[in-house]
Order: sequence, then C-alpha cells, then structure tokens
Amino acid sequence: MKLKSLLKGVLLVAVSSLLIVAVSFLGLFAFVYYNSSGGRDWGTSVSEISRALVRNGTAYTFTGEELLEEGQWLMLLDADGHISWSLYKPGDLPEQYGIADVASFSRWYLGDYPVKCWVRDDGLLVLGSPKGSVWKHDIAMNTRYLLQAPIWFLAFFLLALGCVLLLAYFAVGRWFRQAQHIRDSARSEWINGVSHDIRTPLSMVMGYAAQLEEAPGLNPKYKSQAAAIRVQSQVIRELVNDLNLTMRLDCQMQALRKETLRPEVFLRRAAADFLNGGMAEGFDFNMDLPEDPLPPVEADPFLLRRAVNNLLINAVKHNCPGGYIRLGAGVEDEMLVFWVEGGTAAEAARVPGPEILEPDGGAAHGTGLKLVAQIAAAHGGRAGFYCGTPWRCQLILPLKVAPGKSQRHGN
Amino acid sequence: MSFRILIVDDEPALQSMVREILTQAGYETLSALSCAQALEQFRAAPPDAVLLDVMLPDGDGFSLFGKLRENRDMPVLFLSARDEDADRLQGLGLGADDYITKPFLPQELLLRLRAVLRRVYREEGSASKLGDAEIDWGKGTVRRDGREAALTAKEYALLRKLWDARGNIVTIDALCAALWDGPLVGYENTLMVHIRRLREKIEAEPSHPSYLLTVRGLGYRLNVEGGT
Repeated sequence: MKLKSLLKGVLLVAVSSLLIVAVSFLGLFAFVYYNSSGGRDWGTSVSEISRALVRNGTAYTFTGEELLEEGQWLMLLDADGHISWSLYKPGDLPEQYGIADVASFSRWYLGDYPVKCWVRDDGLLVLGSPKGSVWKHDIAMNTRYLLQAPIWFLAFFLLALGCVLLLAYFAVGRWFRQAQHIRDSARSEWINGVSHDIRTPLSMVMGYAAQLEEAPGLNPKYKSQAAAIRVQSQVIRELVNDLNLTMRLDCQMQALRKETLRPEVFLRRAAADFLNGGMAEGFDFNMDLPEDPLPPVEADPFLLRRAVNNLLINAVKHNCPGGYIRLGAGVEDEMLVFWVEGGTAAEAARVPGPEILEPDGGAAHGTGLKLVAQIAAAHGGRAGFYCGTPWRCQLILPLKVAPGKSQRHGN
Repeated sequence: MSFRILIVDDEPALQSMVREILTQAGYETLSALSCAQALEQFRAAPPDAVLLDVMLPDGDGFSLFGKLRENRDMPVLFLSARDEDADRLQGLGLGADDYITKPFLPQELLLRLRAVLRRVYREEGSASKLGDAEIDWGKGTVRRDGREAALTAKEYALLRKLWDARGNIVTIDALCAALWDGPLVGYENTLMVHIRRLREKIEAEPSHPSYLLTVRGLGYRLNVEGGT
C-alpha cells in the first residue's frame, strides 16, 4: 500500500515537471514568434499602402483608403523633412521634421502616435495609428549572448524542476498525511467497533463461567473447567483492551491527560488494585520504594496505571505457577524508573544473566509489553525488558523537576 | 435491607445474566431494554440504584441519566462496552457514581455496586460484627468480651474506611486522605499510632492481629473472616 502511494507521488512529480517545462518552452516559442517579422506586422502592410500612393506631376493620388483602419493617418516627408502630402494627419503634429525626429519616431512614437515608416524614391511615408492602440518594444541582442541561450534554457528548466519538486514535496507530503490519517481512522474505527462488539458476549462468557465456578454441587472437574474459561476470558479482555489502546497510541488518537503524580502514592494504589483483583494468587508480593521521597512526575494516571498493570500481569505470566513479584521505583540518571521484577522459587537459585529483549517487547510478547513501550514513548520516556533471573521490566520517565540528589532503588 | 436495582440494557441475554447475578446476591431487580421502558419503570417503581448502558436503541444513556436524575437523586452506575476515556469521563463528569466497562466479572459488578450503595445509603445506626467484636456505628463504640470502648473520631473514620472496603487492601495514602485534609506526606507514623490503638479495641491479640492486617509497603486490609 505504501509502495503504491510512493509510486503515485513520483508519477505526480514527474508529470508536473514535464508540464511546467512544456508550458515554459511553448511560451518561449510563442514569444519568439511574436517578435518575428510576422508577429511585428500589426495591421495593414505599409508597403501595400505606399503602392496606392502615386505621384502625378506635382500632385499625389491615393487609391488605398479602404486599406486604412479606423483612426489611421498618412504623411509623406520629403528629403528636407517637409510634409509633401498627408491624409487625416492630426493637427497636433508639426509640419516639418529633423533627422533626430525621424530617428526617434522610426523606432518609437511620434507625439505618442505609433507609426510605421516606408522609404520611397520621393521621401519617407509615415503611417500613423491612434494613440495607445499599439505597444512597441524594440528587441536587440548581442549575438554573443544568443550563443549562451542553451545554458539559460537549462537553468530555467532546472529552476522549474526545483519549483515543482518543492511544491510536490509539500503537496505530496500533505497528501500522504491525509491518506495516512484516513487509513488510521478507518483502522482504529474498525478495531474499536470489533472490540465494542466483543465486549457484551465476553461479559456473558465471563459472567456465566464465574457463576458455574461458584455453583454448589457442581462436579469439581467442571468447576475447574469453568475457572479455565473465566481466566482465559479475562486474558481476552486484556488483549482487547490492549489492542484498542495500542491502536489509539499508534495512530496518535489517544489524548494525554497529564497530572502531577507522587510516584509512591501512584504505585501503592496500582499495586493495591492489582492485588485486590486477585491476579497474583500464589505469588509473594513486595514493594520496594526508597526511604527518601521520590520527585513528582507528570503523567497520564490512566495510561501509567495500565502500563504498570501490564508489567505486573506479565510478571505473573512469566513466572507461573508462582514465585515472587517486586514492584519498585527509583531515580536513575535524572529519570524516574518504575520497575517490576519477578521469578519463580526455582529461578531464584540461578546465576543472574539478564538477556535484553527487543525495546518494543517483541512480537512474541503480544500487545502487553508493546503497549508499555508505547505509553513510555508517549510520555517522552522509554521501556526496557530483560528476560533472565530475575525477569525484569522497567518504565523510564522524565522527571517533572530534576531531583536535588540522585537516588538509587534499593535492589 | 433489600435494594431495588433498575437494569437498563438493550441486550436481553446480558440483562438476564445481570438480573440473575443481582437476584442471587439478594437484590430486587427491574429491567428495561430502552430509554422509554426505563422511564416507565422508573415512574412505576422508583429504584434505589440504576445500572445504565450507554448505547440504547432510542437514545443514549447519558441523556437518560439526566432525565432520571431530574426526578430523583439515586446512585447510577454506567455499564458500557465503550471504554474510551472520553466516554468514561463524560459519564463520571455528569455525576454518575461509577463507570464499569464490559466485560466484567460478576464479583466485580457486585463489589462496585455494593460500595456505591454503602456510600449512598449509609446505615449510621446499624451495627456490624467483626469476629467477636461488635461495632456500633451509631454510638461509635466497639464491644468485645462484654467491655465497650468508645472510638475516637480518627479511629471511627479509619474503621469506616476499612469496613467500606473490607476484604480489600486500602493504601496508607487513601487512609491518610480519609483522616486528614491537605498534603499527606509525613502522616504515616501518626497513622500507625491510630492503627495500633484501633487494634487494641477490636483485636483479641493486638500484637498478632487477625482482622486489621498490615500489607507491608502498601497499607492495611480488614479481614472480616479472621485469621492471618
């Protein structure tokens, strides 16, 4: 899916670049054509008009009035700059012109009138148009610079490509984010829906299994089967809860509701809830907190409780059928460390040799530890998992205020 | 006293199971599958507490909660499959007494319902048995071996807190919060003094307690069945 999106993005950039370059070149060619002799010919050809003006002795006959457009006028200057013949000449124009005047209007304007000239044997024919009807611009270029044109074209091409890439970077990036958001929302909604729908039937499985477990007169074998159904249903419940939350954290859809927490108070409450839930039967539970008060931490109590609970559940799972669990906290390298250790009675005799697990808890460890790592990351911290003797997991969080002195957990 | 509980849930099978759990635990039950039925039941026989689902066919539980509370201020516990923070916070923010997420264990439901009922319908004048000690909550005394000992205000608050959560661990922080206002740092030693004095009144052997047990590093637990 990601590769397909990437290919689409690359295609979009390539097509955009090609379009920009094509439009640039077309524009350039159009401009060159406009400035060519064909492009310069705005209106009737002055040579054609000149042919319609014929001299008969001392007088002139003009037979090309239909060639003139509205507002156009004509005048013929002799070698001295005097007007020897004119037609519709504006009154604000002088009757005689010097070399400087001729040099100026042959290139630009005559008294703001755009004019075109035609050299004849008997003088210079000037065809004038109304003021403001034609824009004139003379182009002249050193041939030396013309030879550099390919370099200029290349530079413009690269500039256009750069602009397209820059635009594409933002446009495609945004497009990617939107696509990702839509996908994440759909995924999250789907998981949310499934987990919602599974909760009611699971309530009934758990409820009836628990009732059968307590039913008087039921065969002990069936009671233990009912207990197994109840326990496994609880495992499914935890999985559904973890899956939902892990998805929300993954898609950044879980709002953090941070509060200032006292680590000792928080841990005692989490431990009490865990033990009151009866999850640690067969385990010797101990709290290990330093004598000096721990510095406060800014955290979402719901998420942090979930993380610590998951660590405790994992300690039970990894050390079944029974042993010990230690829950503690301390300050290490200006970070607050919540830790859970566990082991079976048999493992306690082994030589310690912790094996570091993957930082995300590893796929083999399900969603439970992955969720712990996600919660730690959401708080700007990290999680560490060590499989060995003792089995140890820790949740490392940044402190709200740097501690006055470093404290080590008593382990 | 038998409490009457109104169960509002659109899933008949789940409702039947909850009804069975509550009936076995000694509660009287009423049931409704929709908002309209719930209001009808509510008017016909006002319940002592309501277990309320959030998603109902003809409305949502949050709106129904408002309508029920307009008529009578009784405890309401949401029982919902929606587990998002926003839903939980909305429910509790409206003033619900608890928000239980499905799936749940029968025991969990009963404990939480009992805790709410105990808090709301506190029987000040009644007495409770703790082994061979009898606690008179109305008089604030403990009678054991024919001798009656008066509880101080702090001992009474401490015993009440532990009794309300009997069987469960209550952290030292929660006990301190029940006894004193303000910051709770440094009260642990004073708490231990009150615990020792309370043990002298309720235990046969205060130095080897059978009922008020210490959970090391965490808090205390009132073991109503006796024994360590």
